[in-house]
Amino acid sequence: MALATFNFPRTWLRAFMLFTSVVASVPSASWAQTAEARAVETAFGTVTVTGTPSRVVVLSENALDTALSAGVKPLGTVSTRGSTGVSRYVQDKVGTIAIVGTARETNLESVFKLQPDLILAAPDLPKAQYEKLSLLAPTIVPSTAVTDDWRKSVSLYAEALGRQEEIKASYQQLDQRIAALKARIAPGQVASVLRWNPQGPILMSSHLFAGQLLQQLGFKSPALAESLTQRPHSDILSLENLHQADGDWLFLATLNPEGEQALAQARNQPAFARLNAVKNNKVITVDGQLWSSGAGPLAAQKILDDVEKVVAH
Amino acid sequence: MTALPTLPTRPVVSEAPAGYAWWRFGRYSILVHRRAWSSGFLLIAAMIIVSGISLASGAAGLSPWTALAAAIGQGEPMHVFLVQELRLQRLIAGLLTGAALGVAGCLLQTLARNRLATPGIIGIDDGATAFAVASIVAIPTTLAPSALALTGAATAAGLAFGLSGGAGARGYRFIVVGIAVGALFGALTNLMLARTDMDSANQAYPWTVGSLNARPAQAVWLLGIGLLAGLPVAKYLGRALTLMRFSDSVATGLGVPLKRMRVMTLLLTVFLTALAVAVVGPVGLIALAAPEVARYLVGHQGVPVFNAALAGATLMSLADWVGRTLMAPIEIPVGVIMAVIGGPYLLWILLRPSARRAP
Amino acid sequence: MSSSASRPQVVKRSWLICLTLVVLSVLASLLIGAGDVSPGRSAQALWSGADSEARFIVMELRWPRTLLGAMVGMALGAAGVILQSATRNPLAEPGLLGVSAGASFAVVLAISLGSSAATLNLGVAVAGALAGCFLVLLVTQLRGIGSDPVRLILVGAAFTSMLMAISTLILLSDQRSADEMRFWVIGALAGRPTETAYSSAPGVLLGLLLMLPLIRPLAALALGERVATGLGHHPQLTRMSALVCVAILVGTATAAAGPIAFVGLIVPFVARRLVGPDIRRTLWLSLLIGPIIILFADTISRLVVKPYELPIGVVTAFIGAPILIAVVRGHRLPTL
Repeated sequence: MALATFNFPRTWLRAFMLFTSVVASVPSASWAQTAEARAVETAFGTVTVTGTPSRVVVLSENALDTALSAGVKPLGTVSTRGSTGVSRYVQDKVGTIAIVGTARETNLESVFKLQPDLILAAPDLPKAQYEKLSLLAPTIVPSTAVTDDWRKSVSLYAEALGRQEEIKASYQQLDQRIAALKARIAPGQVASVLRWNPQGPILMSSHLFAGQLLQQLGFKSPALAESLTQRPHSDILSLENLHQADGDWLFLATLNPEGEQALAQARNQPAFARLNAVKNNKVITVDGQLWSSGAGPLAAQKILDDVEKVVAH
Repeated sequence: MTALPTLPTRPVVSEAPAGYAWWRFGRYSILVHRRAWSSGFLLIAAMIIVSGISLASGAAGLSPWTALAAAIGQGEPMHVFLVQELRLQRLIAGLLTGAALGVAGCLLQTLARNRLATPGIIGIDDGATAFAVASIVAIPTTLAPSALALTGAATAAGLAFGLSGGAGARGYRFIVVGIAVGALFGALTNLMLARTDMDSANQAYPWTVGSLNARPAQAVWLLGIGLLAGLPVAKYLGRALTLMRFSDSVATGLGVPLKRMRVMTLLLTVFLTALAVAVVGPVGLIALAAPEVARYLVGHQGVPVFNAALAGATLMSLADWVGRTLMAPIEIPVGVIMAVIGGPYLLWILLRPSARRAP
Repeated sequence: MSSSASRPQVVKRSWLICLTLVVLSVLASLLIGAGDVSPGRSAQALWSGADSEARFIVMELRWPRTLLGAMVGMALGAAGVILQSATRNPLAEPGLLGVSAGASFAVVLAISLGSSAATLNLGVAVAGALAGCFLVLLVTQLRGIGSDPVRLILVGAAFTSMLMAISTLILLSDQRSADEMRFWVIGALAGRPTETAYSSAPGVLLGLLLMLPLIRPLAALALGERVATGLGHHPQLTRMSALVCVAILVGTATAAAGPIAFVGLIVPFVARRLVGPDIRRTLWLSLLIGPIIILFADTISRLVVKPYELPIGVVTAFIGAPILIAVVRGHRLPTL
């Protein structure tokens, strides 16, 4: 301790000096104002980014999806739920990528080692983490909530990446596909997204990423899902009120690949079996991870794949 | 209560102090406990070694000398940045929290005459966790989670103290009430985690297990100041507690104001624990293990406040180093490492017959 | 506590009160729900099948849940009484002693090994509770610890925190399991499959049957170990069988409804208040008090956050923690 306290004030004194020296020593991490510098509005204030960063570290699935959609192969990312690597749906697109932590904790040294010139982080990054990360490279933290338009954070990441054109192109692709799909789906049908837990069902808010897409496709959502404007999903819904989550279509989100197992479990419950969607055999099991919090152009395409099954029915 | 601790058979101060030495400075001289001092130096050496290793290792390995040079600002700017910004601050946070928890554990164990009575078990950790988690997942607030962790720890302790109506005999009542309060806060934390989405739950995660990854600097500063102020008081209380180790009547006979001592010890314990959990979150086992190590080295004489601090600092930074490097780049939170190291040890304490004897 | 002369009357009165409350709590559980079927409609549906919606909700949703609640209440209440007698400790509570933590830990293990929380086998939690119980047993084996109220509870708290930490380590890089566990760690009666009530009945019955031959030895044990030995009992054997019995009861209850804390503390506390410390009276009464507490707590849990459900574990924690505090504040800790 004696050693440590001795150095403590000097650490802080030096931090500032160091800051400049490190910035100068890392060729790509230039914060200096140049002709092509642009200001990006983040949750932690305005951050200046220059040019089109190529050494990018992404600390959320949303950011990974965006970077890949924009044609940037990130150097590092955090592992996702259920695996020690990246999500299944982007696996064939990432190439070689370093894992720099989990969704819970980022290993700062691993990020440092990659010498990034841009870091894209999730909206809820803690301030203490931000303070460290922003020393390594400009760090972009969107100030969005889960129920905001998903394109908001994606566009922000794209702006920081300097690749708005590419993202616009992917939006266009998406819009075209949505329009085509919408034409094949009878308008005004109610679709609800439900997760089946051991203690009962929870209803996903219709303002989440997946809900936004469903709405664009012309689906309506149950009033209860509509009312969840602040939270991503409801509390455990009483079985007596399960009918409030009923609809023409039911997307049953499961976290494990064996979605059928969860469906079988739910079917055992008389309250579930009574739902119209279930009686009419209009239940579709989907990847809960993708449908509850994933966001990005690639994830959107994946969700549209799921919805296409509705059309096939 | 059937299992009262057995009384020590020999008094602490004897006529001819065996195991003590006189240190003379001109006209002044101090009577020192040899083993306490030698183990103190041993612990300081261990702490320096662990600190060196910790500063040198990580995703980019450095030689210990490069690392030490970088720590004082010499060498390549990249190395200096890495060591000072990423490693040194984390190390300092670890050393300080370890020391604070070590002292807190030492005091409370001695007060309750039970080595299982650590601040983590009596609800302070749960209170801090509940408040920090609430600030992240339930109640939108501009206050930093660490500030709320501090509030939570104080709230839990205050509740336990108020509800138990004082310390009670040997602080036992306080401890059980603390467990009850902790259970309440634990239920609330679980409820909040179940209600929120996974991403927020992930963000709250370090506060539920205890982690030293990127801790808020202000909280570390606050802890450093608190520790500086608290250590001398702890040392003073430790002396009084040494006498209380015999029995209440003996202690009263020796002129110890029992009630005030108990309350002061509890307050100091809460103070140090609260400051520490505001930095690191719940790492209760440090408070169990550090005094144990200190007592083992010193021998069962007195209340080894300083040595418990040193042992806590060493253990905490060691555990953090292991957690940082073992599964890199996956961070294992220091709280989990401590639990895995400390778990079997805890069981051993629980299961061996001599567990009946109080520390 | 009353003089011995009026004891039989007190016991009789207590039984009457409890029976009335059981009927009331069952009715409350059947008639009051989080949905929009009013108690009046529900009451009518009990007698006639005209209102098919109400009939479905009462008979298909509330009835199995009430049954499950009653079963879990009996199991946890009886387990609490037995554990407190066996350890002669008024603070002993399966949840506080790590039995529930053992069950949770086993579930974490199972989930992380690939099974889904939704389709988990009952046996896993029972095995976990047994393992947790085995450790408690080892600890109480050591002379003197089991009957020191505070020490035992410290052992339990320490053991629980250790198991939690190991669970955390297992869940460290496994987000899917962590996500499922979020919902499992607080007990609830909501959303259980209908057959849970029936499938957990054998476990509860087995536990209660095993309990029968233990009542006398436990009552003798209350008089002290020497007296019990003198009366021809084997204290050590009694304790061990009691703990096995507790493990079966708590394991079954935990498997069916998740960990529900403090019921094993509240029930014996109330029972002792009513009929005094004799286990021959408290044990039978606890079979009524357990369901009363669980069913009322469950009814509350449906109403607080309509149309959602509050996990019952939170409600019992809020009832139980004050009782725990009351026990330690009471007078000096009674040694059973």
